[in-house]
Amino acid sequence: MITFLRILTGLVLLGLVVLAAILFMPVRTTPALAALPEDYTPPEGSGEYAMRLADCSACHTAEGGVPFAGGRKIESPLGTIYSTNITPDEDTGIGSYSLDEFRAALYDGIRQDGAHLYPAMPYANYRKMSEADVRALYAFFMDEVEPVSNAGPETALPFPFNQRWGIRTWKWAALSEPGELSSTGDAAYDRGAYLVEAPGHCGACHTPRNLVMGEAGYTAMDGDFLMGGEIDGWTAPPLRGPDSAIRNWSAEDLKLYLASGRNNHAGVNGEMQLVVRDSLQYFTNEDLDAVVAYLRALGDPAAGDNAPPVDPPRTADRLDPSAGGTQAVLTAAEPGMALGPRLYLDNCNACHFVDGRGADQVFPELDGNPLVTAPSATGLIDTILNGAEVPSTTVRPYSLRMPDFGHRLSDEEVAELATFLRSAWSNSADAVTTADVTARRETAEERAAAE
Amino acid sequence: MARTEPKKDVVIVGLGWTGSIMGIEMAKQGLEVLALERGADRYTVPDFRYPDVIDELKYGVRFGFMQKPRNSTVTIRRTLQETALPYRQLGSFLPGDGVGGAGIHWNGHNWRAMENEFILRSYVEDNFGADIIPEDMTIQDWGVTYAELEPHFDRFEYMLGLSGQAGNVNGQIIEGGNPFEAPRSRDFPLPPLKQTYDATLFADAARAMGYHPFPRPAANASGVWTNEYGMQLGPCNYCGFCERYGCLNYSKASPQTCILDALRRMPNFSYRTNSEVLRVDLAEDRQTATGVTYWDEEAQEEVFQPADIVMLCAYSLHNVHLMLLSGIGEPYNPATGEGVTGKNYAYQMNGGTTLFFKDKLFNPFIGAGANGMSMDDFAINQIDFAAEGFIGGSYITAGVTNGQPIRGIGLPSGTASWGEEWKTAITEWYGHSMSIGSHGSNMAYRDCYLDLDPTYTDRHGRPLMRMTFNWKPNDIRMTQFMRSKIEPIAESMNPDTWQSSYKGEGAQYDVRPYQTTHNVGGAIMGDDPNTSVVNRYLQAWGQHNLFSLGAAAFPQNIQYNPTGVVGALAYWAADAITRDYLPNPRPLV
Amino acid sequence: MPLPDWKTTRRGFLGGGAGAAALTAMAVPLHAQSPEPEPLENYAPEYFTAEEWQFVMSATALLIPSGPTPGAIEARVPVFIDLQLASGFGSADDWYMAGPHIADADPLLGWQSPLTPAEIYREGIAAVNAWCEQTHEAPFADLLPQTQQEVMTALSEDEVPLPPELRGLFDLLLQNTKEGFFADPKYGGNHRMAGWTHIGFPGARASFLEWVDKHNVPYPLGPVAISGERG
Repeated sequence: MITFLRILTGLVLLGLVVLAAILFMPVRTTPALAALPEDYTPPEGSGEYAMRLADCSACHTAEGGVPFAGGRKIESPLGTIYSTNITPDEDTGIGSYSLDEFRAALYDGIRQDGAHLYPAMPYANYRKMSEADVRALYAFFMDEVEPVSNAGPETALPFPFNQRWGIRTWKWAALSEPGELSSTGDAAYDRGAYLVEAPGHCGACHTPRNLVMGEAGYTAMDGDFLMGGEIDGWTAPPLRGPDSAIRNWSAEDLKLYLASGRNNHAGVNGEMQLVVRDSLQYFTNEDLDAVVAYLRALGDPAAGDNAPPVDPPRTADRLDPSAGGTQAVLTAAEPGMALGPRLYLDNCNACHFVDGRGADQVFPELDGNPLVTAPSATGLIDTILNGAEVPSTTVRPYSLRMPDFGHRLSDEEVAELATFLRSAWSNSADAVTTADVTARRETAEERAAAE
Repeated sequence: MARTEPKKDVVIVGLGWTGSIMGIEMAKQGLEVLALERGADRYTVPDFRYPDVIDELKYGVRFGFMQKPRNSTVTIRRTLQETALPYRQLGSFLPGDGVGGAGIHWNGHNWRAMENEFILRSYVEDNFGADIIPEDMTIQDWGVTYAELEPHFDRFEYMLGLSGQAGNVNGQIIEGGNPFEAPRSRDFPLPPLKQTYDATLFADAARAMGYHPFPRPAANASGVWTNEYGMQLGPCNYCGFCERYGCLNYSKASPQTCILDALRRMPNFSYRTNSEVLRVDLAEDRQTATGVTYWDEEAQEEVFQPADIVMLCAYSLHNVHLMLLSGIGEPYNPATGEGVTGKNYAYQMNGGTTLFFKDKLFNPFIGAGANGMSMDDFAINQIDFAAEGFIGGSYITAGVTNGQPIRGIGLPSGTASWGEEWKTAITEWYGHSMSIGSHGSNMAYRDCYLDLDPTYTDRHGRPLMRMTFNWKPNDIRMTQFMRSKIEPIAESMNPDTWQSSYKGEGAQYDVRPYQTTHNVGGAIMGDDPNTSVVNRYLQAWGQHNLFSLGAAAFPQNIQYNPTGVVGALAYWAADAITRDYLPNPRPLV
Repeated sequence: MPLPDWKTTRRGFLGGGAGAAALTAMAVPLHAQSPEPEPLENYAPEYFTAEEWQFVMSATALLIPSGPTPGAIEARVPVFIDLQLASGFGSADDWYMAGPHIADADPLLGWQSPLTPAEIYREGIAAVNAWCEQTHEAPFADLLPQTQQEVMTALSEDEVPLPPELRGLFDLLLQNTKEGFFADPKYGGNHRMAGWTHIGFPGARASFLEWVDKHNVPYPLGPVAISGERG
């Protein structure tokens, strides 16, 4: 009994010590990863370019809002987080931040007042950015951005998540080494690794989360890195491995997708649209090549990844009258046909055609499309209900739009159509229920009402 | 004047095909460009979205994408003695409206004129003698040649993603194309569209008679296409709702699919919709334009928009109307033959034969806008005018483009138009008829012209433009000649019955049925300021900083649909302005 | 499924409700359609008076008769016309209606009447009814079918004396009737896509790339409306 009490007292004392440590031990911030001269001046344009690489405006500019003035709603699994004002306003922005304080936010998720930032800010990835880019960003935000007075809404997550000191423990468990990147020594690969693993923070969406909701890997050296994630219910597909969304893409396809959101296979959708619109379309030609080289290096040609470029036949010549299966059913257009393919002919065939292969760079494929066959059907349901749009980009300025069909189809019909698509042609994925569709429609309505 | 806006380098009136081309070409030069469009903005989605655009009543019958006569129309008369009356409802021609203009709702028939069409008067005089030209026919040379325009035809076609088969590449005749066409420097951007049943039957019959059918050039993409601006087209799906409708699947060439999103990205380009230009403003000495005045619909006030360069890019009729209202060029007087503005208005002479087959099924609802097989064996460069007794020519085509039921189901003549007989007949004959049509030239005449109406005004109080036009014996003889060639082809196909519709002797212009929206002339180009309004660069003779694009420049109508020439002239003018005018603004001729 | 025996009597087209039920069965929808609207005799017109409504029902029933297949009544064409006249079409919103009007001008110069379509119907129906009273002692809707046929024929051949501003009446009526038979059902006519089914028109499908090469092959699939309703 006394032993038990002693052990218990010991554990409580230990807990108190740990708590005291969390609360009172000073936070050590990561120092600069390279020694640059005090009077180092970032090259002209490098600050804006670094901002594009890191895509700061994606979170720090509200919908239709003033650039970098914050106030954007970010839906997290723990509640709504509002982005902050990072214009150089002295009172409501970061105008009073020193370079070290700026770096601490990027690398360690530490605010000027010492509070911990929620990991909606991807410091877990940004902590690998170079000192040159940190300096360039600092100079950009201090000198090239208009200061804007905007206090913005305070983030108020429900208890216990409003206890920011708790994030410190999360950091101990979740963060990896600052500045650590994968490398092969090949210049293109290494630059691509930097872009993807550091400012691009692609892993923040495309990597699975572990039990503590940290990324299950931060560089290509980790097996789970870029093996797929989920964002707002949509699947952010794997970019390596047997289920990789890009395994059948040529280098040209991959590069064009990054630059324009469209290629011979797919059209960018969901949150990734904004990444193309605000970030990727501004990458230099060389940087795009580097990202492509890196991603393809993660593929395994022996397993059939990294397809060579193909000169495909004209759409009209592609439709083979002797083809069987789904294409034959759709082409025959029999009055007694099942509801799924009937809905396809009445809604989708005009652009996606009877072989489900769409048209290069204009209408995405549905056959073999990861959005269609993803484990979560949310993205597919959302696209049928609300349509889709690829952003206007420099190399492809046309903002191609798919109209929404939510007003034309009942929940039951959307489920029927989605189920058909997920098993049509070579696709094989679970059916979609009416309840799935109803739930997604309700989510959208709730959000719209809350605006 | 309620307000004045800050000056622009270039102000463009109308944001259709020519407005978009001039807009992007001038913006590429770094100029501050503003386009003023009196209609609304239009995007593929939501304005042409599937399936809502598949609405025959709203767009095909009630003309949803067209100009509303209440807002803008003309008065029409056939002779100088008749009193012109307002064109109160749309019928014979359908001017466009809104961003994209008629480029939204055309069929996509895109041709190059024949070489002789640009030098028609000289060609007739040199080959047949001036005596064969009727006294009241006022045809003229254009002041520009086909050879000069060839690179610009090529550029326009590659910008459109035109589908077709070349017949003459640098003098080499190619099987399957049009052997009579003017030489082109390379093949079409995209291969031809697939053909419907009726077109293949016609082509077989035509070939059997020794003619040379070829796929009609189509600005409906037969595959995917990316043009010089990075803009994209997808493959046409033969939806059967082309002409009169915005394209639902990104396959019809239009300003929306070919230019606008690229143009909108340029920070030095802007445009205002619901801004109707009321007049072109001229300097005191009338030697230059100072800008334009427009009506701001939202603010309900007049606005003066100053500019260094004014480009009239509205529909052809509206360009001429603006010139007449603004005092640009001496108005044409048909009694004296003096003056230039409004002179030489022309239209298009078409006809056709309809065939009925009980045992052949044509699915008429399957069609693009410009699919079909055509032949130029009786084109304007193939006819001996002296022998045949007319000046002109036509191309002949079969190819169904739509089977929309409200707009008419072909029935053998004599069939009742209502009641049980009609109801039964439409089930018997829907899908069992096809047509062979001729599309031909229309010459210019002394008393076919445009001026200001003395009686009727528009909502701004401006006089409407008055159109004086009628069919003339020369063109009637031409269309009857085509009839004499088409009917034997029809007979050789062994239909159960057939019937013809061609203008006959004494035919009067009927404004009610749709014919074509190929209104040309009125601000014609030429090499003599006494007989033309603009010079060979489409620059106004009277004001060197004023340009007038579009088919108003045609001195008479070509045998083809005008858009191909309209586009080529736009690139030709843009090139001259960029290379020659901008460095040194002055009259270029 | 045995079809009702349709008679072109006054009672025949008042039985529109039963006809609509037969239509629904014929269309073999894959899912439940929208509920059946009220029968025509219970429809409350937005534009027409009760008397005009009777005229329009009788007139359209002649122009596109009922029979073994649906006609104007089963397709609810009168509803279409009523709604059109109550809309911008009826008030000639798009047309140039400023005077002076020369109503008896050469017909080839197009519409010159000072009246809108809604006014043409109102005054035109009154004029025709007045003429029927004068020549046959009853308004149009109360005449025997054979007599109605004669009146309609006379009207179509300009043999019913009408002032020049009303001379477009028959053409307008026939045009609107055909529109009501074939326009998308969202406008109130072409009920259950009866018009499209009648001729084999696929409606708003507008997607045929895989069918272009199928020459002389019947297209088997029924129509679809803009709303998604399937036939």
